[in-house]
Amino acid sequence: MSVLLWIGMIFGFQPQSQNQDTVLLAPVEVYAPALDRFTQGQKIQSFSKTELNNYQGRSLGDLLQETSPIFIRQYGAGMLASPSFRGTSAGHTAIFWNGLPINSPSLGQSDLSILPIAGVDQVAIHFGNGGALFGNEAIGGSIHLNTKASFAKGFHGNFTQQIGSFGQFNSTLKAGFSTEKFSTETRIYRESAENDFTYKDLGQAGTPEVKAENSAFQQSGIVQDLAWNLNPTSQLKASLWYNEADREIQPVMGSNTNDTQKDESIRLAVDYFHFGKKSILNLKTGLIRDNQVFNQSINSTSQYFLSGDWDAALSSKWNLKTGIRLNFIQGELSTYQATDQRIETYQSLRFEPVEKVRLSLNLRQLAYLDQFEPFIPSLGVDWDFWKNTSNQLSLKASLAKGIKVPTLNDRFWEPGGNPDLLPERSKSGEIGLNWIKTGEFNLENSLTYYRMNVDNWIIWLPKGSFWSPENIREVQNQGLEYQGQVSKAAAAWNISANWSYTWSRAISTKGIGENDPSIGRQLPYTPEHQANGRITIGKNDFSAFLGTFFVGQRRVTTDGQRVMPTYQLFNLGFSYPKLNWGSLNLPISFQINNLFNTDYQVLYLRAMPGRSYHFTISIQL
Amino acid sequence: MKFKLNQLSWALGLSLLLFSCNDAGSERPLGEYETGILIMNEGAFGSNDGEVYHLDPISGTLKPNIFEAANNRPFAGLLEDMVLEEDRLFLVANTGKIEIVNAGDFKSLGAVSSDLDQPRSLAVVGSKLFISDYGPYDDNYNTPDSYVAVVDGLNGGPIKKKIEVSNKPEDLFVSGKYVFVAGSEEGKVEIIDAEKETIFKTLEVSGSPKQFFEVAGTLWLYSTGDGEVYFQSFRLDNLTKANLFTLPLSNATGRITFDKEGTIYILTSSGWPDYKDAVSKVSIVNSTFEPEWIKGSGFYGIAFDAKQDLLYVSNAKGFQGNGTVTVYRKNGQVESEITVGRGPSGFLVY
Repeated sequence: MSVLLWIGMIFGFQPQSQNQDTVLLAPVEVYAPALDRFTQGQKIQSFSKTELNNYQGRSLGDLLQETSPIFIRQYGAGMLASPSFRGTSAGHTAIFWNGLPINSPSLGQSDLSILPIAGVDQVAIHFGNGGALFGNEAIGGSIHLNTKASFAKGFHGNFTQQIGSFGQFNSTLKAGFSTEKFSTETRIYRESAENDFTYKDLGQAGTPEVKAENSAFQQSGIVQDLAWNLNPTSQLKASLWYNEADREIQPVMGSNTNDTQKDESIRLAVDYFHFGKKSILNLKTGLIRDNQVFNQSINSTSQYFLSGDWDAALSSKWNLKTGIRLNFIQGELSTYQATDQRIETYQSLRFEPVEKVRLSLNLRQLAYLDQFEPFIPSLGVDWDFWKNTSNQLSLKASLAKGIKVPTLNDRFWEPGGNPDLLPERSKSGEIGLNWIKTGEFNLENSLTYYRMNVDNWIIWLPKGSFWSPENIREVQNQGLEYQGQVSKAAAAWNISANWSYTWSRAISTKGIGENDPSIGRQLPYTPEHQANGRITIGKNDFSAFLGTFFVGQRRVTTDGQRVMPTYQLFNLGFSYPKLNWGSLNLPISFQINNLFNTDYQVLYLRAMPGRSYHFTISIQL
Repeated sequence: MKFKLNQLSWALGLSLLLFSCNDAGSERPLGEYETGILIMNEGAFGSNDGEVYHLDPISGTLKPNIFEAANNRPFAGLLEDMVLEEDRLFLVANTGKIEIVNAGDFKSLGAVSSDLDQPRSLAVVGSKLFISDYGPYDDNYNTPDSYVAVVDGLNGGPIKKKIEVSNKPEDLFVSGKYVFVAGSEEGKVEIIDAEKETIFKTLEVSGSPKQFFEVAGTLWLYSTGDGEVYFQSFRLDNLTKANLFTLPLSNATGRITFDKEGTIYILTSSGWPDYKDAVSKVSIVNSTFEPEWIKGSGFYGIAFDAKQDLLYVSNAKGFQGNGTVTVYRKNGQVESEITVGRGPSGFLVY
């Protein structure tokens, strides 16, 4: 019996339509712990392979902005893109790659522009506080990236070339070979763009149309996945991701800077799995090195990980997971050197008292330097309270805590770093309703209301000639997230659509002194309204999609005298995967982004590109 | 605190003060923005949201973002200085441009928008503009290539020449065909011959030169130093240094203003670790000195309105959002407080 069938039997996976990509396992697979095993009462959004295919040649930031409730603060095309999840700051979204947290320990966040979709196979989002499940920085939510090789597939390979407007030229070569016992997959990619789009320069007299300067973008990387089935009950796998991005930093309108930035990252994860009769033991080690050169200023950090956990089905009703993670951090920053070490232990318990109810309790203890956070819990329930042959209604509810350890820069930056900072702390609760209808057409609707507060929110304030961080702000967040999708297959036709609307209120309740004008107001660059939708129509093998996303007004500063206008963009795409030339299969696709050439800025005075065309052709080997 | 100033000749001159020259007035009717007070909001780094607000001190009417209102486009820069010359107002953005507007209605007349790095101030000689500029940062965030740029034409245009000066030039002052440059980093005053566009003479001065001012025909330079500030006067006939006065004042910034009775107001900031800011008041006539006349945190700009006899102190409020301006009476009482733009750093008082 193959390894993964075992796992399926132990854990009794129930394929659910909304979570197929994370749950449903093919018979022979490389094992990856499922994200939703202990996230009862919370929400997960996974992206299908088709959705990710539509974003080949683009970044994680583009994918999330256009198809999820996360708002991406984007400083230009290919420039810094940082997430704001449920009205939180960029440092309140944890990002994982094959189970390792990859946010920079010095900045406490990631630049989503240099996480290319080409480098990963799976993307999933966990909404809300995940301090107990995922640890540091999972406050607004967390993003989980995975690579995924497979067994017993023989040789496969493909080459994809994308050519687009503004000098875009992207190439990806992917090749893999696998037997029942061994699997290897290598991919190499290079993405580049001149980014010389035209925009209306508001910083010049007469607001002339000018070409963007100093905004060229180039990144390349290699991803290597290896996996061995050592014996029927154990598996070893390793993943390596090297990414190098070389960017000119597009100046804000009215400035003529010629900054450049180079980012280099090496990420390595090695996992050993032992599949027991009713349990899985996982030992993991990893390494992440980030090296950033901004003009001549060099900032490097290294993180080393060692972790182990044990996931067991205690009975048909009880599941337990417990583990420990050690993390050693070294920083060589332009103005200081620092080390940090973290020890985390965690316990998760899932209980299914009756068939329709699932409860989970998660706990985490976190120690860093001389600080100890003993109690980071979350508690959640899923209750399928009504069900008939074609309808299912479920209720989700959860309470959770989250934490953010001050970053290395917050604590040690010279001058101004504040070693006495406390962690940022968050408490939240959410309740959601899910309706799944199957039958002639499949329909799914979910509505979630959340409330959250973040205390000890760190902000940097000018202190004479330099800036220093303090635990000052307190923020109350609440919001509604509505998501729906429908699909229908009839004869040769395939129609599907999905849509979402997000209302997000994030208000300072405590600021710099009592007269801080930010008190009672929405945080800057946090839209209250966001929406997106996409309709895909396929006939035989041909398919076309029309996608749109809307971003509401954003205040530029805390007191909100200047407001950025709303914008809505449309993307249109066509694909035909069955083009053949002799025995070669040549899938092709064509995409138009910003279909109506809308002039917009995400952030004040940061020029964004107008309409662009992208043509992609692959060669399947 | 009482202190002694033995030579008060310069102080007597102060009481005559600068305002007479502005009040001389021209025949033409004044525009909407040529009365009252212009508030310079620097903007936040990386946001280029500098702007000018207009305050009518009598009615209290505050008009925000008057550049954008007049020109249907944002100022798009960090506003470093405003220089009035006849009916033109030069808005100096340290993000690399000069916007030139009609002082009356703020309508754009032109710009200097290419080949500048970090302009700090501007002076006009005849039909030429002289622009002090830090130059680009090097790898260690030093500015070894500071210059004064020359532009032919009062409405801007291309840079004609860059005259190399000592590091970090700030304020400029024009006397006849000479342009005085406050070289803040190396303690120098360079005197440029505006016709030849070369440095005519360099004078070494005490402290870090910050701002020029003219009192009764005498040119003064205000400089900051370690634990003291300096007032250096110059002879304009032979371009030499005249008198130097020293005042024991710690943590002084480059922000200074005067009232009609010979009182000097200087912003001080203690920096780390206490971050205490203050308005220091030096009354030359009474020989009184109050280093912490008004205490606070976040003080960023200062100006005295001689017509209303009121002192304006701006507060950047951490650049997180909008700043404020507090209006003080001469006895230190707060007259009013108004919310202005981001990073209010200075004023132009008509």
